[in-house]
Amino acid sequence: MGLTADLNVSVQSLLASTESMDVTTTNMANMNTPGYARRRVVLEESAPSGDDQSSTGVDVKTIQSLRDSVLDLSINANTAQQNLNSTLSSSLAPIQVEFSDTATGSIGASIDSFFSSLQQLSTSPADASLRSGVLTAAANVASSFQSTASAVTQAQQQADQSVVESTGDANSLLQQIASTNAQITTAQNLGQSANSDQDQLSSLLSQLSAIMDYKTVNSSDGFTLTTANGVPLVVGSKAYSLTNQVNSTGFNSVYAGGTDITSTIQGGNLGGYLQARDQTLASMSSQLDQFAYQFAQAVNSVQTAGSDATGNAGAALFNPPDTTSGTATGAASAIAVALTSGSQIAAASTGGASGDGSNLTNMLNLQSQEVINGSTPTDAFSNLTFEIGNTISQANSNATATGNILTQLQNQQGSIEGVSLDEESSNLLLYQRSYQAAAKVISTVDTLMGNVLDMGVTNPGY
Amino acid sequence: MRVNPNYSADMINLMDQAQQAEDNAAQELSTGRRVNLPSDNPAAEASMIGENSRSAAVDQYTANSDSLTDVLNTANSTLSSVNTLLQRAVSLGVEGATGDMNQTDLNSIAEEVSNIKSQMLSLANTSYAGHYLFGGTANSSAPYVADATNPDQIDYVGNSQQNKVQIGTGLSVSANLPGSSIFSQSGANVFDALQSLVTALQAGNSSAIATAQTSVSSALSAVGTAQVFYGSTVDELSTNETYLSQEKLNITTYENTLVSADTAAAATNVTQAETALSTTVAAAAKMNQVSLLDYLQ
Repeated sequence: MGLTADLNVSVQSLLASTESMDVTTTNMANMNTPGYARRRVVLEESAPSGDDQSSTGVDVKTIQSLRDSVLDLSINANTAQQNLNSTLSSSLAPIQVEFSDTATGSIGASIDSFFSSLQQLSTSPADASLRSGVLTAAANVASSFQSTASAVTQAQQQADQSVVESTGDANSLLQQIASTNAQITTAQNLGQSANSDQDQLSSLLSQLSAIMDYKTVNSSDGFTLTTANGVPLVVGSKAYSLTNQVNSTGFNSVYAGGTDITSTIQGGNLGGYLQARDQTLASMSSQLDQFAYQFAQAVNSVQTAGSDATGNAGAALFNPPDTTSGTATGAASAIAVALTSGSQIAAASTGGASGDGSNLTNMLNLQSQEVINGSTPTDAFSNLTFEIGNTISQANSNATATGNILTQLQNQQGSIEGVSLDEESSNLLLYQRSYQAAAKVISTVDTLMGNVLDMGVTNPGY
Repeated sequence: MRVNPNYSADMINLMDQAQQAEDNAAQELSTGRRVNLPSDNPAAEASMIGENSRSAAVDQYTANSDSLTDVLNTANSTLSSVNTLLQRAVSLGVEGATGDMNQTDLNSIAEEVSNIKSQMLSLANTSYAGHYLFGGTANSSAPYVADATNPDQIDYVGNSQQNKVQIGTGLSVSANLPGSSIFSQSGANVFDALQSLVTALQAGNSSAIATAQTSVSSALSAVGTAQVFYGSTVDELSTNETYLSQEKLNITTYENTLVSADTAAAATNVTQAETALSTTVAAAAKMNQVSLLDYLQ
């Protein structure tokens, strides 16, 4: 043991304090940086030195990032779910207005008016103005189908556009993740700290989770990022680029390095747009087609069974008319009134006089008959209202529920990874004191050594 | 346990929630509805579609009843005139059958009966809004016309069809009674009876006058039966309209329970949300005012 050893210990202490203050500064500087996890210096006693092994200094063992990767993973998974649901909800929101009970030109309201106009006609079947009233009401039914179908198509096209944009965003994130991944591997191979790169990776993964869901597997090459069902997106330093390709439905599919992953994306904005486009809206669209087709067929079959005002057999009221092919695709956007004059309404049963309204009874009965896939026309519309409302409402409550979970998880994450200024300030104070103490020891040793050197000098310089 | 030092996300979340609650309550107050879009309450909105449809149907049934009542009342008052005229013809027949009158008097009675017959023809051809009331469903032309070969004979050219009009779910009434059931029933044909009375009066045959007068009487009772149809149908329509207005009220009440705003609750919610929001904002403003850094020199 000796003064020199003390000097060494003090220098070590100075260095440790400096490094600790560096970390504190870094923490304070990055307190608001996304993906940053607070760091702390892990100190350890250094190997004892001196004759009696009594001098033990301090070493900086490592700088630790306080990251809870399990928590991060769970936050990202919940973010993907929340974004899926909020995107689904906002993609569907524009069309639910068409199905509201207050929408004046809705399919339901126009079908009600159509039957009302037939009722009116039944009080005076020969009346020309009432007959043209029926034709106007029928035209309104057709245009309500058309406008609703076009709103659905428009929402699908918007979702499709967003799919393309989100794919691009995800693609650039995947490239960045791959290069960050490579940097981490390099740093680790060199035995260097990869803390900064890890922070960046964490931030990138969190951004990616807003766009799509994924799985990560850690391997010796850093880590592998795949879709939920295992199609690789990033392997080590290689990113499989995401591309879009128009499929048979006329919308864009998402491909990862040649594999179609459209149906496997079940999270994030991208998942939300895809679910809205390919599931809810696609189903709405085909149900509307069925609805329009079967409604037209039901009305036409009653119409053609009767006689019009001039005694001729009734002609089909709606286009598309009865076809044997039975395909309804596009019916909702194509439906139109085929008749040109109110006198062509077949109010009379076959051979009936001009004032006969007995076929109108059959037409009116359609209102309570289950002619649309086992539902009455009103019920068919009300089912669509429920379906769209329920999908949005469920998406909203799922988004709220995952939002609450997310808040909990983020609080938990903050309590582990978050930088507290108070904590850092108090650490700063500690490191400052320890630095001062070490400096004091050095100056004390200096004085002592001076005293020793001065021994035997008669007239020291002080 | 370590506390999350970054509370701003939490605060913003709380403020969002309070703001959302306030928006919802304010919207409820301003629209008067708790449910404005299908997603607000899918089941209630789906029910509303059905209720709106029922409501529209009830409105239409009421409108049907109204227009039908007008038509039937017109027919009914026409038949009242027919009734009066036939009663006059019966009493003229009774007068002529006494045998106390000379042929001149009988001729002038015959003249009056003949006039009654012409008026009867015009009444039987009464139209409403361009359509003949007593022609069955062949109502675009006059149902009673003078026979081409025998102008004294009045032929019925309408049919015996009746139109049905719905005035409720599964409930319909006949909108007309064809002339064949009023004026030209076999054995009680108004025109034939009047014509035979005219012929008998002109012939001065007392017993033939008496027979013809009996025929007119049976025609009169046939018209009376038809009047009962119109009267009772109008009554039925009126009763039904009362029922329909009750039904409409029921639907409206039910619709209100489905979607209408609970004004008191909504007003309370606005206040609560406003309080929550201002407290959160106040708390957020107070936070972070003290830092250890303030005390370190």
